[in-house]
Amino acid sequence: MVSPLSIIYYTFHPNELRNILQWKVWHNPVHERNVANETETQKTCFKFLDLTSRSFSAVIKELHPELLLPVCIFYLTLRGLDTIEDDTSIPLETKEPLLRNFKDFLEQDGWNFTGNRPEEKDRELLVQFHNVVTEFKNMKPAYQAIVKDITDKMGNGMADYCRKAALDDASVKTTVEYDLYCYYVAGLVGEGLTRLFVEAEFGNPALLKRSQLHKSMGLFLQKTNIIRDVREDNDDQRRFWPKEIWSKHVNDFDDLFKPEHREAALNCSSEMVLNALEHSEDCLFYLAGLREQSVFNFCAIPQSMAIATLELCFRNPAIFERNVKITKGDACELMSKSTQNLRIVCDVFRRYARKIHAKNTPKDPNFLKISMACGRIEKFIETIFPSQSAQDAKLLVKGEMSEADKKKAQEEAETRQDLYFMMCLMGVIVLVISSIMFGVAWYFGARFDLAFKELLNGNFQKPAHLGEVRDEL
Amino acid sequence: MSVNKVLLKKVLISGGTGFVGAATVRALAEAHPECAITIIDLQPPGTTHVVPGGISFLQVDVTSLNEVRRAFEQVKPDLVIHTAGIVPPLSERFGRRLERHTWRVNVQGTRNMLDAAKEANAEGFIYTSSCCVVVDCLGFPYHNIDERWPIPASSLIYEAMVLQESSSTMATCSLRPSVLCGPGDYQLVPSIHACIAKYETPFVIGNGTNLWDVTYVTNVADAHVLAAQNLMSSKTAAGEAFFIQNNEPITFRDFCLAIWAHFGHTPPFEVHIPMFLLYLVGWLCEWLTWFFGTTTTLSRGSVRDACSIRYASGEKARRILGYQARVGIDEGIRLSCEDYARRMGVELPPKATRPKEE
Repeated sequence: MVSPLSIIYYTFHPNELRNILQWKVWHNPVHERNVANETETQKTCFKFLDLTSRSFSAVIKELHPELLLPVCIFYLTLRGLDTIEDDTSIPLETKEPLLRNFKDFLEQDGWNFTGNRPEEKDRELLVQFHNVVTEFKNMKPAYQAIVKDITDKMGNGMADYCRKAALDDASVKTTVEYDLYCYYVAGLVGEGLTRLFVEAEFGNPALLKRSQLHKSMGLFLQKTNIIRDVREDNDDQRRFWPKEIWSKHVNDFDDLFKPEHREAALNCSSEMVLNALEHSEDCLFYLAGLREQSVFNFCAIPQSMAIATLELCFRNPAIFERNVKITKGDACELMSKSTQNLRIVCDVFRRYARKIHAKNTPKDPNFLKISMACGRIEKFIETIFPSQSAQDAKLLVKGEMSEADKKKAQEEAETRQDLYFMMCLMGVIVLVISSIMFGVAWYFGARFDLAFKELLNGNFQKPAHLGEVRDEL
Repeated sequence: MSVNKVLLKKVLISGGTGFVGAATVRALAEAHPECAITIIDLQPPGTTHVVPGGISFLQVDVTSLNEVRRAFEQVKPDLVIHTAGIVPPLSERFGRRLERHTWRVNVQGTRNMLDAAKEANAEGFIYTSSCCVVVDCLGFPYHNIDERWPIPASSLIYEAMVLQESSSTMATCSLRPSVLCGPGDYQLVPSIHACIAKYETPFVIGNGTNLWDVTYVTNVADAHVLAAQNLMSSKTAAGEAFFIQNNEPITFRDFCLAIWAHFGHTPPFEVHIPMFLLYLVGWLCEWLTWFFGTTTTLSRGSVRDACSIRYASGEKARRILGYQARVGIDEGIRLSCEDYARRMGVELPPKATRPKEE
């Protein structure tokens, strides 16, 4: 399990190792699944959750018991839709009704689908989809309605997209289309989850009124993935970067991957990062509206990962060559910091915004806009967590200290006192021990009077004859 | 500015040929063609800060109460906008040489304007203050400050004088714009541009993460028009002070880099200089300039200026005045650089932003 390479890596990155260990040792899930009480179909659903999702399954499984199963079913349903949409072997005339009617299959006992090509990686989920149907029908009706509604919207969105791709040209042209695409694949998920949170009373109902907020939650994640996966997607003949953006920098999308256009490609990617960064304040605002720790963790972890990934991708030529990923150590640190409170998540956002800012270069045509976006994040964080208050400033101007400062000063005085006490104690001990030593020496006949006289005469050397005596010995 | 229902009849504006004043005159003339505007200033309108035609001008020294009174008797304004004030040039700002002169114009001038306005039964009085009333107490960082923040005693007098005069007969308010840039600016953009020729661009003072507010001059002018409309109608701004800025804080370093980039210059490398070191150098420079009677870019004040955090919240101005920056700061910096290049007679290099036409 531990490869020699990783040993070398962590020798030089002890911080990362520390982060990993800290996460593994100290992290206590807020809630844990109770496997003993689960039915067979529930167990199967969680098995599929593990199989289909790498990043989400862990956070889902730590959710509050009230939402654990609904969110799991919601995830598997959307994953099922995705598996049909992704499969290029299914002709449009079969695919379109499947996608549009998927919401109804959720209520048909025993529904499953075996029409996927064998190499489709989540094929098995649809083959055994009846488990999901069973659990769907066991959910509270309110949750069922939410999952069904989002499935309906997403299924139709996907069907429209497939139709357009088959008959016309589905490439993303404008930034508006780009936002719309991201809304269908991720923004809708944000909407569904938010409705589940509010229904379970784990989220402020205002989150639903300000739809911009939950939309941004999904868009921020999706846009980050689209930036990070540009190479992989292009190799699979998929292009999500909107033409409106890339055409400002290169004439042909493929030019982004050519070394001779590296500078233009970097400028293009930084415009994409800028486009994603616009959502970050909304995301922090959204997180402020969550009322339950496990739900907060569930939402905050992917967001922190996203801002870190954006920072990693920002002006990084490697994204055009391979898949870049944040290191495991960083991921563990981000998870530890995203499972506490909003202030710490804000610190993460500010830190990464500053890192992005530090990599920004005036050669980039969007230099100032990126700088402004970073400034906006800082200013926003400052509005929710002011680092100083007008009250404190007033006192400071008057030359007085605030309560917190007074307390701090008092604490400092106490530590100083402790320090003095320790020093005195040490002095006393040294004094006692040395007087004992001198006493013993005097008892055995040491002539301190002679030694003192020699010292007074300025003779600090040891007497010459003593040296000779020693030599003889 | 959508609310144009308020009619402004007679407006008297001091310092109307200056940077902020002229911009305010232009904005007023555009938004309120019905309004009769009179400028009082030491110099008649020139070519640097253009004012539209049809504006009256009276040559008045605001430090002379008699001259101010005569102007008010002649104009009988409903609304007074007092922008005349001295912002010492960058190199002198923290020096002592101009202090007495600055004091006289700013305090005596403001006093005269207030007294004359009361005597002439003006209904509204807008004072153009500065964010510096708060932030010039340089000792600590100013993150996202708002109007509740205290004013250091030394700057208190300018603004408080105006706000205290607010009454049922004459409503007063004070606008505190941040550092300004825009066409006709002879302080900020020129001095930053000058760093290129002096090979000063690679040096970063401090860590370069301190955020700053900069305001494009027409936005401040817009704020004056909004304040005028408010004082002449609902008067919700009476007795209040407002921070006015673009609400797009960026770092001071980036502001400089953006200006240099417009002039086609990118620093070839970067050297970070710890603040305390430069502070020391600034202190030495101050002594040298005192000794030789010259001016310098470097002083303790300017070092602290470049490293300090100052940005304010635009919330109150948005809520009460309905102010929002119409020109974004990126656009504002571009326009400022283009204007300065025109004044110097140089051509800006083409921008790399445009798509390649191949």
